[in-house]
Amino acid sequence: MVDVAYEGGGAIAVSEKLDRAKVLNRLRLGDAIFRHMTRGAAIAVLVILSGIIISLVIGSWPALHKFGFAFLYEEVWNPVTEQFGAIAPIYGTIVTSLIAMVIAVPVGLFIALFLTELCPMVLRRPIGIAIELLAGIPSIIYGIWGLFVFAPFLQQHVQPFLIDVFGPIPVLGTLFEGPPYGIGMLTAGLILAIMVLPFITSISRDVFEAVPPVLKEAAYGLGCTTWEVARNVVLPFTRVGVIGGVMLGLGRALGETMAVTFVIGNAHRISGSILAPGTTISATIANEFTEAVGDLYTSSLIALGLILFVITFIVLAFARLMLMRLNARLGS
Amino acid sequence: MSMANFTVPTVTNSVGANETLTEKVTVKDLDFFYGDHRALKNINVSLYHGKVTAFIGPSGCGKSTLLRILNRMYDLYPNQRATGTVRLDNDNILSPSQDLNLLRAKVGMVFQKPTPFPMTIYENIAFGIRLYEKLPKSELDDRVKHALARAALWDEVKDKLGANGQSLSGGQQQRLCIARTVAVRPEVILFDEPCSALDPISTAKIEELIDELKEDYTIAIVTHNMQQAARVSDFTAFMYLGELVEYGDTTKIFTTPNDRRTQDYITGRFG
Repeated sequence: MVDVAYEGGGAIAVSEKLDRAKVLNRLRLGDAIFRHMTRGAAIAVLVILSGIIISLVIGSWPALHKFGFAFLYEEVWNPVTEQFGAIAPIYGTIVTSLIAMVIAVPVGLFIALFLTELCPMVLRRPIGIAIELLAGIPSIIYGIWGLFVFAPFLQQHVQPFLIDVFGPIPVLGTLFEGPPYGIGMLTAGLILAIMVLPFITSISRDVFEAVPPVLKEAAYGLGCTTWEVARNVVLPFTRVGVIGGVMLGLGRALGETMAVTFVIGNAHRISGSILAPGTTISATIANEFTEAVGDLYTSSLIALGLILFVITFIVLAFARLMLMRLNARLGS
Repeated sequence: MSMANFTVPTVTNSVGANETLTEKVTVKDLDFFYGDHRALKNINVSLYHGKVTAFIGPSGCGKSTLLRILNRMYDLYPNQRATGTVRLDNDNILSPSQDLNLLRAKVGMVFQKPTPFPMTIYENIAFGIRLYEKLPKSELDDRVKHALARAALWDEVKDKLGANGQSLSGGQQQRLCIARTVAVRPEVILFDEPCSALDPISTAKIEELIDELKEDYTIAIVTHNMQQAARVSDFTAFMYLGELVEYGDTTKIFTTPNDRRTQDYITGRFG
């Protein structure tokens, strides 16, 4: 009796082992497929990225070959004589993005800090949803709103005020020189600020919420004010996320096309005044691609695209560098 | 819960008749509410200068809640409120006019989990000092060194003050937090289960530290570890279901408690 029971037990163990091996094999196959799929997806990114770079370089080659480095610093943009220089759109792109970030970064961080640290519970959701809705508005709507509502408002009320106040001040005055057109780089920068605000706000809010409450309590426990806690604990703790949010916003500001094309004035010239019309790289491309006749014209537009790509790359690299230096200073 | 069970806490001073105790913190008729839930019921207790008072009791009995009232940490959260009086020296700290930053400078707190700030070791200490005093660099250095030495951490970190506070081991981080608390020169220090995340050796170091610190401060410690309460404290308060069941000299509480529930808890019959 005892023997039988023992043998029976052994048989069960063996068949179980076989079954398990089969199951494990199946699982292993599934795992291999999964591994290859994830790897394939990751490699696809590299393939697409290099494909874009290569086609940009090939497409812009005629223009770069013809103008050389002068393409980067010439201001003339004349389709008739086929003289092209990219500095005006480069300048416009950088200045409008700069205006946007100067406004959107502090405002966005303040909104996020208010939402996470100070806001009464009942207001949190409505404000949070409003921010997300702001991100959901298509850029064409910002464009027409900017052109038909915001620009005239700026022209009639804000810009004359800026000219009156800052105009007489030396140096600063040159920033606000010239007539109030309504449209121009300041208007484009302000529209961009509104457009990138939700990105910065919602990402910062998410990372601020991830700060362990006990860490904040420890800082409050030393007698810190809310501002001191935000400045010394919340922001350093979340620096990576915040910089990520800011860079995402900056990336959008640099590349934003439709809204900017509506309100910037599309003038190929550099002006010291931020009230003056200008143009950006993406606005130029969007405006002129349909009428670009001749290989050199088309190629110059593609070269602008390549430059935008490079600028974005530099910005990202700079962000990485900044993060590394910040980490070194904090001693991690 | 019938109030008839409530034992009025009495301090039976067996420490010695010749020693006079100075009341530093006096809690009187304290109730605390999380929304509608009454988490503390009619608490009366005193903390004495130069003494360590331990709060023991099963989870959820309100020990940590009581501690968080003493520096009004609960104020950070909506729907939490306290009634009654808590006097620090002669000021009622529950009064709405109490300056919270000043209160928290006077009543420091060390948490269950080590909470080094995301900055260097040096900055972790200097940060708190700078909130209240503007010192020249050399003096600040001295203060930082003194605080670290006070927390028995100086020898271990003196060569890496520029390293991030979060790179230290758990026990070192906790001592860093104690140093940070001591650096702002508080009068009362609250320890909220300071050793529950630490290994036995680090725990022993922290206990030793508490023993050294108590000369200059009024110390309250919440602990789940009854041996720890017995080792470090002069007075012990046993709390159960939001009530202060018994409060008195630590030796007395652990040897001849008055209340049945205290006896059951310290002998491990529940909790």
